[in-house]
Amino acid sequence: MAAQTKQKRLISKIAVLIGLCLGAIFAGFPVFWMFLNSFKPNSEIFAFPPKIISDNFTLAGYHEIFSNPEKIRFFTNSYVVSISVTLLTLLVAIQAAYAFSRFDFPGKSTFNIVILSLQAVPPITLMIPYFGLMVTLKLYNTYQGLILTYMVFTLPYAIIMMTGYFNTLPRELDEAVKLDGGGALATLWRILVPVSIPGIVSVGIYTFMISWNEYLFALTLTRTQEMRTVPIGIQLLMGQHSYEWNEMMAMSILGSLPVLVLFLFFQRYFMGGLTSGAVKA
Amino acid sequence: MLHRLLGKLSSKKSKKVGVLRCEAGGSHSAAQPILLGISEKLMRRGCPVSASSLLRDRRGTSSLTILKKNLEPYAFISPTILLLVVLMVVPVGLVIKYSFYDNVIVNQFPKFVGLDNYFAIVKDEAFRIALVNTSMLTVGSVLAHLLIGLSFATLLNSGLISNFSKALFRMIYILPWLFTVAIIAILWRMILNPNGVINYILTTVHLTGSPIEWLSNEKTALLSVIFINIWAGYPFYMTSILAGLQGIPRDLYEAATVDGASAFQQFINVTLPQLRPIIISMTMLDLIWTSQQFALIWMTTGGGPMTATEMLGTYTYKLAFSQYQFSQAATSAVVLFVLSMLLAFFYVRNQKARD
Amino acid sequence: MQLELKMIDSTHTWVYCPFKRARFRIKRRKTARNTNAPGGKMKKNASIRTRLTALLSVAAVLVVSAGVSTPARAADVTLEFSQWWEPELPAGSFRGLMDEFEAANPGIKVKLLSGPYSSTKEQIVAGAASKTMSDVVGLDGAWVSDFAKQGALASLTKLMTTSNYDQAQLASQIKIGGQAYMIPVVNFVYPLFTNDALLAKAGVKSVPSTRSEFATAAKAISKIDKTTKGWALPLSQEAPNGIQNDVMSLVWASGGSMLAGGKPSLTNAKVKNTMTYIKGLWDAGAITPGAFTMKEQDKVEEFTNGRVGMMIDSLSHIGLIRENNPSLKFTISPLPAEDGYKGKRGIPYASWGIGVSSNSKHQAEAFKLVAFLMSQKTNSKLSSIAHAFPGNTKSVPDYVNGDPLYKAAFAIYTKGYPANEFTGLPVAEELMRLFDVQFQKYLSGKISVTAALNAAQAAWKAKF
Repeated sequence: MAAQTKQKRLISKIAVLIGLCLGAIFAGFPVFWMFLNSFKPNSEIFAFPPKIISDNFTLAGYHEIFSNPEKIRFFTNSYVVSISVTLLTLLVAIQAAYAFSRFDFPGKSTFNIVILSLQAVPPITLMIPYFGLMVTLKLYNTYQGLILTYMVFTLPYAIIMMTGYFNTLPRELDEAVKLDGGGALATLWRILVPVSIPGIVSVGIYTFMISWNEYLFALTLTRTQEMRTVPIGIQLLMGQHSYEWNEMMAMSILGSLPVLVLFLFFQRYFMGGLTSGAVKA
Repeated sequence: MLHRLLGKLSSKKSKKVGVLRCEAGGSHSAAQPILLGISEKLMRRGCPVSASSLLRDRRGTSSLTILKKNLEPYAFISPTILLLVVLMVVPVGLVIKYSFYDNVIVNQFPKFVGLDNYFAIVKDEAFRIALVNTSMLTVGSVLAHLLIGLSFATLLNSGLISNFSKALFRMIYILPWLFTVAIIAILWRMILNPNGVINYILTTVHLTGSPIEWLSNEKTALLSVIFINIWAGYPFYMTSILAGLQGIPRDLYEAATVDGASAFQQFINVTLPQLRPIIISMTMLDLIWTSQQFALIWMTTGGGPMTATEMLGTYTYKLAFSQYQFSQAATSAVVLFVLSMLLAFFYVRNQKARD
Repeated sequence: MQLELKMIDSTHTWVYCPFKRARFRIKRRKTARNTNAPGGKMKKNASIRTRLTALLSVAAVLVVSAGVSTPARAADVTLEFSQWWEPELPAGSFRGLMDEFEAANPGIKVKLLSGPYSSTKEQIVAGAASKTMSDVVGLDGAWVSDFAKQGALASLTKLMTTSNYDQAQLASQIKIGGQAYMIPVVNFVYPLFTNDALLAKAGVKSVPSTRSEFATAAKAISKIDKTTKGWALPLSQEAPNGIQNDVMSLVWASGGSMLAGGKPSLTNAKVKNTMTYIKGLWDAGAITPGAFTMKEQDKVEEFTNGRVGMMIDSLSHIGLIRENNPSLKFTISPLPAEDGYKGKRGIPYASWGIGVSSNSKHQAEAFKLVAFLMSQKTNSKLSSIAHAFPGNTKSVPDYVNGDPLYKAAFAIYTKGYPANEFTGLPVAEELMRLFDVQFQKYLSGKISVTAALNAAQAAWKAKF
């Protein structure tokens, strides 16, 4: 009996591993290809039959980036903007999501509908009026302009996702704090936030990702090379007459590293149930 | 720190912090005590307590407190409202205004034409083709995202594999998310090139005879583009569901196992219902988001062979920056906006009904 | 019945229970109790809180202190020049030219703003709409008509007359309604590139010069093996200049035209013959696969990797091809013309054009920069580093005398005539795209050539 269960477990484990490996090929192969290409000289990237490791393995792509202070500045700008956006968005979104999840107030549905559908306005049509607004507010070509813009883009997602997370948490948690004499603020920061850390982390990573990879508004709202971010840096390598393929690949790989690191750092928040056992019926 | 802050917020020394309702009958079993703090202690002292209606009773509280309580939610959403009103309402309002003029920006003297642009758009065949293609892209992508996200998240959450493997695979699975759209487009164009690596593998294992024009053949272009979109977007679902899975209390699973439910039954009856609010929110967002997808399509196929991958996003872009018809582009944007508002309306109503 | 809770101090609460008719003094807990590990949870709370606080303060500091400090402006005039050229030229070379200008014009400083080429058009439109356009802008001929209509560009004719500029030295000017809005600074011509080795392998003795020779060569090359094709035809709708460089160029090479009196005339015989000719190549399988979404850059990569025998491409790619495949031997020649055509052959070109924005506060100084770039010496230098042909009639780039390929190209350039009928047309890029869609339908065999040309003609007429 025990041996049978053990065998079943083993089969399940192998099945899971196979599933994971297939998924990894689906997810990782293109990125792996990009990684390989970042070490090839430009001439071999389109060779057929495609080579896995080039005979002329070269770090030229990476060297170009590291030896150019302008390009390093792209990374710095991206970091400043993305980190600020993530923190500020989380701060604002958590509060708004709390209001949506735990309160019922006039205008709640309307506001919900509006922020949801604001997502639907194609950025390309919004670009020119928005640009005019930024110029009027004197936020053109500044960090603040970009940060506020990205907050506007990421807030709706963040609020909706956080509301979803808060909605999965039972009301008894709130009442626990209220019994102890806490108000709304205490309920939020003492109980709801610590308990929804996985949700906050995933929303935070998502916000970081959006602001790191955004191109159109980064280009429109920055003017000088000192303010530009990594996606613009990548596009600059696509000239009218020449494409620096390996440098593009290298820049993308380098650009993806901070998020990978973030993800690594916050991995443990995805493990284990923080809510299990907090409330006993 | 917060505790002291709360102390400061309330007025003087002896203040009322709340009211507990007593059960008239007074038996323990009738009450539903929540084992925390004060109520527990009172229970121990023999005072039956139900804390459920604690918050609702406002008798005896001052009008200031009532006002404060009413305004509380608004205080929480005020930074959001401020930001969105200042930065979004004006541009979106302008876009809506543009749709009522004959042409703006390139036309120095715009003329008001009412709903003419709307009639023109609806009659435009390209718009209808774009609408059809966009619906296929959206529905296909969202469904696939959901399925892939659920499967990956479940696999990653499985108790059968070590934490190290989980961490490793998690890292691999979020890779598509890490890249800007331009690079994803270039990468997939490289991979799906008729002389690219996919065709090379397929011809080497003799699955096909001649190179397949994935992105250039109208039969395969839309599917290829949908596939690329699926690849680029599934990590969103996966991480959100993964985070949601962490929030499901273990005891529910334990109870189900005790009841004799198989893993699959547990998935259907425990996991999915618990994940429902998250799944619905994400699906809503993804629907709206995919329907205005532009950059990925534009940079891979540019609207495709003939009109095979023409989407609302590319259609609008071409109106704006190729034909310089900003009013018509604004009209197309407003149509999308209204459709999404309808979708959002039903979503919010559904949420309210459930609550 | 109700209990009353009264907070008497920060640690204790009085609770009156009417049921028991007694008052209890109960010690309050600081945080909600977790049955699992109260101590651990509180510690976790604290550490999360401190971490959050720390991160928030960092964010606040960043937001408050961030921002670009604007450099103190002297009495100098600072011109902003937005273009996409600087990244494509050898590092520092374009800045070097600007430094020369500044040295020759004390009191004027030039700030170079470079952006990605693919987004230049939108950025100019947005800049013009919000009045933040740079003083001097790099332009493409396909955009001029629409920007002029938008009122974004200043009339160069006015500026030239005011400064008594000798207009004869300009090879061409793009005029809308009699006023010039763009001057082509350097021109990139698109001759025919042929792969010597592939031609030899296919048994073709000499570089094709007529259409039938070209067709024979293309078909022969396609028979060499499965991955090699005779001709690359980029028809991507994203950047549809394949219609200009690879399709209409064949019409112009035979002295044909797609316009009549400045208005669309797509149904004429020369255009029709060109269409059927290309369809013949298509049906014979002589064209590289993936044509419907191929971009110019893909075409170059196919050629560089020796998978396509012939292509019509920009001269500026010679350096790129040599760099990426030094062993590739190729020849530059004029575009094939209709059999029996003896007249001058048009050679397509794309230019780096320059214009002055209408909302610039320093239009006179801006024109000085334009004049500088068009001056004989500077124009020669610029054409040399860009490997393009000069926009000044007297300039001669230095590579012409050294390199046999460039020499050949220059000879073709002078023997033929630069042909690009799309320059200055309204919504030129959209016209290319409208034609492209019909052309793709025709190539796939969905519609006949007459239907395709009629549809394209109708679509074009609506834009004029």
